[in-house]
Amino acid sequence: MTESHESNTGAAPLLEARGLSKDYGDTRALDSLDLAIAPGEVYCLLGPNGAGKTTTINLFLGFVAPSAGQALVAGLNVSTHDRESKRRLAYIPEQVMLYRNLSGIENLEYFAALGGQGSLGRERLVEILVEAGLDGEAAGRRVSTYSKGMRQKVGIAIAIAKQADALLLDEPTSGLDPTASSEFSALVERLRNRGVAVLMATHDLFRAKDTGTRVGIMHYGRLVTELSTAEVGHADLERIYLEHVSDNGGPR
Amino acid sequence: MIHHIVRKEFADMIRDGRFRWSAILVGSLLLVSLAHGWVQARKASQEHAAAQATAREHWETQGEKNPHSAAHYGVYAFKPRLALSFVDEGVDPFTGTSVWLEAHRQNDFLLRPAQDATAAQRIGALTAAQVLQHLVPLLIILLTFGAFASERERGTLRQLLATGVGWKELALGKALGASGALALLLVPAAVAGAAALVVASPGPTASPLARGAVLAGAYLAYFVVFLALSLAVSARARSSRTALVFLLAVWVVNGLVAPRVAVDLSKRVYATPSAFEFARTVEREMADGVEDIAPPDRDESTKRLLAEYGVERVEDLPINAVGVYLQESEEFSNRIFDRNYGALWDAFRRQGILQEALAAAAPSIAVRTLSMGLAGTDVEQHRHFAEAAETYRRDLMRQMNGDMTENSLTGDFSYAASAELWESVPPLEYEAPPLGWVLGNRILSLAVLGAWLAGAVLLASAQVRRAEVA
Repeated sequence: MTESHESNTGAAPLLEARGLSKDYGDTRALDSLDLAIAPGEVYCLLGPNGAGKTTTINLFLGFVAPSAGQALVAGLNVSTHDRESKRRLAYIPEQVMLYRNLSGIENLEYFAALGGQGSLGRERLVEILVEAGLDGEAAGRRVSTYSKGMRQKVGIAIAIAKQADALLLDEPTSGLDPTASSEFSALVERLRNRGVAVLMATHDLFRAKDTGTRVGIMHYGRLVTELSTAEVGHADLERIYLEHVSDNGGPR
Repeated sequence: MIHHIVRKEFADMIRDGRFRWSAILVGSLLLVSLAHGWVQARKASQEHAAAQATAREHWETQGEKNPHSAAHYGVYAFKPRLALSFVDEGVDPFTGTSVWLEAHRQNDFLLRPAQDATAAQRIGALTAAQVLQHLVPLLIILLTFGAFASERERGTLRQLLATGVGWKELALGKALGASGALALLLVPAAVAGAAALVVASPGPTASPLARGAVLAGAYLAYFVVFLALSLAVSARARSSRTALVFLLAVWVVNGLVAPRVAVDLSKRVYATPSAFEFARTVEREMADGVEDIAPPDRDESTKRLLAEYGVERVEDLPINAVGVYLQESEEFSNRIFDRNYGALWDAFRRQGILQEALAAAAPSIAVRTLSMGLAGTDVEQHRHFAEAAETYRRDLMRQMNGDMTENSLTGDFSYAASAELWESVPPLEYEAPPLGWVLGNRILSLAVLGAWLAGAVLLASAQVRRAEVA
């Protein structure tokens, strides 16, 4: 275990990157990222495709090994505490993929059990799914009948059931209609209020401003600026984003 | 945690229509082939028993005649079918199951269904062994080729691994889940097979239940090999399609190509004569003798007897010199048979050993050899019976010639033995070799299958460790 730095809120960060870098051959996908996300913070990573957002999430998940630096979850180095760090995390990808032959309840039961929650019981599972916004009737149906929005809600339910300290979201509202996106943001807000630290990679500036507490803009693997969402309006965020992602850095 | 994975995999599989239909198809084929094999084996056993009784009755009621005529009259011997032969008929359709035992000749076996079958009948005759050796592995591949590859493509693998579950637990859970689904079709078949064994058991000497248990273990090991190979390929393949194509290629090589190549290669390395060439060689050597095996000289034989009994004329001998000469002829022909059949059996044995060694390239060869051995239908057990039948024939001839020698005089062609002599000849009581004998013969196949099992599990373990999320 590694001792963590304190975040800018004063509390020990639940997600932390220290000089985190990742190279794929000669290409540097992530360059010396330093980041600390405290409990109750929603940190949105903005940036064009290839900016390093998904690489950052993959490094926190331990799916790829860092070329340099450390990714820490609740103070645990992901590289040396793979399983323990994952136990503290929940992850919702751009498209939550579930087992088509199983119902929403069965999918949730399975992922929750693997996440260390044991057998929660049908009643509790339905409660969690309803809390995540899924209709109680739909919960018992096979997932093959679900829309993308319904699958994303099951993804949120998995995160709720896991009672994770930190949540990693990889473009979770991509392809959702505005209503579903708004519902999703409300769910993230609820988790934030419970003290969950959220790292969300997104292209959606509006959602980042609306949901996030801080925003980091990435370009060519570097975190080029950080903003507090309380201090910028939607128009300012868009302007700043465009200023930073105009193609003036080039890949290293 | 693993039991959650097992339960999910099992539920996911049995709800999959593709699995349900393929399992119903393979399960039905297995049960039908077991039932058909059992009925055929039982029918053949009953026919053999009836024919054996008839042959014995004909022998005992052949009437008064010269013992040497009785030796030419001969008897039929039928190879008893072991209880497990309904699972794997092995080489029986090709080697035959009955032989006519007569004077001067070691005859070929008769009742060879493969000889009379059309090509379509030979291809269409699906035995339980073929289902177990070919179709069940195919079903295992279809069940598990996407175990990791499909999850990787769908994106569920990322979500699974993000929960904190390890690759090893995932692989073990998937293997056990697939095993549970397979058990749905294999356990009923095994129960049906065990019930058939109890009903059809010919007696304790053939140890059918012990043979059945080892057979089940061998097939289980074979299935685990395929399960592990399939998981290993799925863990590393770029896509589920690549995994499927690769595994189907393995299946074709294992089930269709390698066994054929092994047989052809073993025949090329240890060549055996054609049936026609073999018969001509035996016939030639019987006429002229060979090397240090010379045909008996009747004059020499007579001279020796005259000296031995201290008489000058054949008519004065207290025994029948012809009987002595006939037995000497038998001994001569026996040496010719031993020389030629011995070389032939040795060539078959070497071919078999080479084939067993070639199972290193395909586990189907090892399991096929073990299956035939435990079912009592392999070449070694055919030889075991053939040698027992030949020993019986030689004893019978010795007894007939001895009776003629002792109870008649030279030139007395009127001597006729009675039913008392025929009844004094005991029927052939053949005891199938025990399980230890079978396993001793098949030690190489056991070792190779064990190596495949260990290798496949280690490979799966290594490939799963090196697998990537995306």
